[in-house]
Amino acid sequence: MVLRILRGYAFTIAGIAIGVGGLVTLGAMSERIVRFIEGGDRFVLGQISVAGRGMGMGAGFTAGGLLPAATIRAIAAVPGVLGVQPQVMLPLNPSVSQFMTLTQELVLGLDLAVPAPNRHYRDLPVQAGRFLRPGERKVAVLGASFAASHGLRPGSRLTLEGASYEVVGVLERMLTAPDRFVFVPIEDAREQWVAKDRLLQTVLASGAAALTAADLNTGAAVGWTDGQDPDAVARRIRERVPGVNVQLPSELSGLLRSSTAFFSALLVGIGALALVIGGLSLANTMAAAVFERIRDFGVKRALGATDLQLAREVLAESLAVTLAGGLAGLALALALGASIDAWVGRSGQELFDFSPRLLAGALVFSVLLGAAAAGYATWRVVALSPAEAIRRGA
Amino acid sequence: MLRAAGLAKSYRAPSGGQIQVLHDVDLAVKAGELIVVTGASGSGKSTLLNLLGLLEDADGGELWYGDERVSALGRSAKSQARGRCVGFVFQSFLLVSSLTALENVLLAARYVGRPAAEARRRALALLEQLGVADRRDHYPAQLSGGEQQRVAYCRAVLNDPPLLLADEPTGNLDDANGAVILDGLRRRAGAGAAVVVVSHHPDVVAGGSTVYRLHEGRLEAA
Repeated sequence: MVLRILRGYAFTIAGIAIGVGGLVTLGAMSERIVRFIEGGDRFVLGQISVAGRGMGMGAGFTAGGLLPAATIRAIAAVPGVLGVQPQVMLPLNPSVSQFMTLTQELVLGLDLAVPAPNRHYRDLPVQAGRFLRPGERKVAVLGASFAASHGLRPGSRLTLEGASYEVVGVLERMLTAPDRFVFVPIEDAREQWVAKDRLLQTVLASGAAALTAADLNTGAAVGWTDGQDPDAVARRIRERVPGVNVQLPSELSGLLRSSTAFFSALLVGIGALALVIGGLSLANTMAAAVFERIRDFGVKRALGATDLQLAREVLAESLAVTLAGGLAGLALALALGASIDAWVGRSGQELFDFSPRLLAGALVFSVLLGAAAAGYATWRVVALSPAEAIRRGA
Repeated sequence: MLRAAGLAKSYRAPSGGQIQVLHDVDLAVKAGELIVVTGASGSGKSTLLNLLGLLEDADGGELWYGDERVSALGRSAKSQARGRCVGFVFQSFLLVSSLTALENVLLAARYVGRPAAEARRRALALLEQLGVADRRDHYPAQLSGGEQQRVAYCRAVLNDPPLLLADEPTGNLDDANGAVILDGLRRRAGAGAAVVVVSHHPDVVAGGSTVYRLHEGRLEAA
């Protein structure tokens, strides 16, 4: 019986499916941007980022000058600091810019002797293989998008600045910047930096500057002890350690949010557009389906159906129809999203994030809106006399 | 069984004025009577039937089903009174296209709380009686006009309503099918139902126990 009702509403269900499909697809693009912004915010709020003062040579995330080992030790001695992890961040391919991930492919060298100080990313989630271990060399762990776009997996080999690296792990897709990172031991990143930078080679070869390998850091991630205010610790580092650029987590979060303000506005616009287009399409389709049956409702009232009986009947049918249309719309959106992501995934991109909250929200929204539209149409229909309903539906 | 006193009805004309369709109509139909109402097209015959069947409200006057003044009831109570007391046979059949013949007949039982199994037995017996039992799983679009009207007749009498209202029941049928429906209406009257038929058909008019003519909105003895 239910199947027959649904068959009778096939065009309505198809109309609702298209509306919900559009809503979910646009919503999934919004979710993708939200995840990126939230992920970035979460990252910068989990650590204090420090770079050496000056233009520097490593044009990485911190974009500062050298952060020598002595400075790192000075930072570690500041009260409230729990740990300092030296890092080297290098652009892997400066010519490649990625729109949806807002970053490029980067090599991030980590000093594995120091525990990761970022409170929100103590352990990066590994999807295949394992993470880097202290003391290892010429091994790499890849972000999910980087691995996908380069066709790499644990056991594969990767060449960076002429040296061959074994891929030991691939991270889970995080929908944030690290998806495009190559994580290597810091010693290997320092080698790549020197290999890449002729000026640095010349300085080191001349012996003019008293530089050791441990001084080659583009930045450091600083953690704080429990109960400390991270902004206060960051200010303390600024005051006590000369020659460093210290970003207050709250400042960096604000900076990130202002730099992504356009995308925030865009996603609000996309979400609103999706709700309006999808919602109108769905409500219009459902109401039209009820009005189309105005003659049947007139006949049923002639046979004794009360307003309540009729409303209950229409509501049950509309719930079944919007649920079927909503589920079909979700399937349509998922299929469309998977197809597009498979296509753009070859270049390491992912456009959609079909989060459970989006799918559940879209389904609930479509069912409620469909029921409301059907309820409104039914209210209009039962307000007519049975004779008038029959006349109008003739 | 049915008593109407002073029924009046007007409609708003497209030009904005009022068109008085019925004036002060009085009518009484006893159980077992078959009343036929004739009249020119547009004389208000269908409107009268709609008022008698509570399908629309009169502007004035009173309507009684037995001892119950149904014209004073609210909308839902009127629906219940219709389901309980009235069976309709329409000229254009008005079957629900998404339901089979049997389901269309059973629709009459759905809203009056009649037990499903008992209603189904009665519906199958009626379809058998009207010669359309083999069409019970067919949809209206798969039935001829005569078959559709027979199914509609079965729906109208499923609950044995004390009042049966038929609007040009043979208007869209050939003579053979018309005779089947007419015979059914006569038998309902014979079984004690009050039957009011609007028709131009000479056979129907000839079969009426009383015949009225609607002329300029007033009911006159023919």
